[in-house]
Amino acid sequence: MAAVEWSDGAPIYRQLKERVIAMMLDGVLKPGDALPSVRQVAAEYQLNPITVSRAYQELADDQLVEKRRGLGMYVTDGAAARLLQSERERFLREEWPLVLERIQRLGLSIQELLDPQQKWGPK
Amino acid sequence: MTNFVVSARGLRKAYKNKVALDGTTFEIPAGRIVGLIGPNGAGKTTALKAILGLIPFDGDLKVLGKDPRTQRDALMNDVCFIADVAVLPRWITVAQAIEFVAGVHPRFDAAKCHRFLEGTQLKPGLKVREMSKGMIVQLHLALVMAIDAKLLVLDEPTLGLDILYRKQFYQRLLEDYFDEDKTIVVTTHQVEEIEHILTDVMFIRDGKVVLDAAMDSLGERYAEVLVNADRLDAARALKPIDERSLPFGKTVMLFDGADPARLAALGETRTPGLADLFVATMKGTYA
Repeated sequence: MAAVEWSDGAPIYRQLKERVIAMMLDGVLKPGDALPSVRQVAAEYQLNPITVSRAYQELADDQLVEKRRGLGMYVTDGAAARLLQSERERFLREEWPLVLERIQRLGLSIQELLDPQQKWGPK
Repeated sequence: MTNFVVSARGLRKAYKNKVALDGTTFEIPAGRIVGLIGPNGAGKTTALKAILGLIPFDGDLKVLGKDPRTQRDALMNDVCFIADVAVLPRWITVAQAIEFVAGVHPRFDAAKCHRFLEGTQLKPGLKVREMSKGMIVQLHLALVMAIDAKLLVLDEPTLGLDILYRKQFYQRLLEDYFDEDKTIVVTTHQVEEIEHILTDVMFIRDGKVVLDAAMDSLGERYAEVLVNADRLDAARALKPIDERSLPFGKTVMLFDGADPARLAALGETRTPGLADLFVATMKGTYA
């Protein structure tokens, strides 16, 4: 794992959680994959183990990972589908309204949006 | 009371011309990593020495339920210590040091110590005299981590080490040593490097504990706000504990316990780093 910079905005455990989620969305972590142990993550990222446990606990609460007794945390089978669903909702709620506003301001038609090359030529 | 690893009330210690501990009061629960942070001469090392039973002092102090003044020998079975002054004799070899600790400490696991030293340059025949400062600390840490102690006290453990050795030091500690039954108390001036490792922080100034908080509660209590020039008066009305101006007419203000909603109206907010908090709290210390 590479060195990480934590930003001052959100609590570290939340940033760690987002990082794991990003790895799931990118397919780096697949259903059935084991998460590294709390100890390993704490040592590697130089975080206290309580912070790491808290991030893992939230992932478990969201049913993205599950604890297997004595073995550690594993990505659940439904994680990918659940994430895709919540990311879609988040995109529609937070990002899309801004994009839509910009599209309207620029006066782009649906035709132009669906096939930009037709009008502007290949890049 | 027994669930606190350290419980100190009204500690007092005066050296010839200086009061080092002035009614110092604090409690440390088990399974925490506590940073004891203060300017030079604030009383950090004196507090640690009191915990270890190395100096006489006044006040109530219980470490693992024992009084370090009268029960030091029993206490030392469960407490380990790394000081900023190297105490390993220069003539001793790695193998001799391990043999020595195995002879004096009932909870020392020599095999574990050898395992910690695998993959380092510390070969059994190497003498302390031939080691760099970083290697000496590495040996010291391996010796101490192989002891199954309940409380580990680290006084400036990484002083004078380069950044690689410093990072490695805390990495080993987190990976091979710390668990919820162990407690670590550490003093350091390299605040930025350890702030995410800590579960709790204590600021000490002039022998008094001026801040004692869980790290994850700092964000709820303190906020740093990037205030625009036109909001300065409104911001000052909320009584910031520190303020410094940046180029382009912005000012950073640090607030303690102010209403988040009112702060958000003033400008961009964020949780301050431990270093900024420290500087604001200790202002005027050397004046």
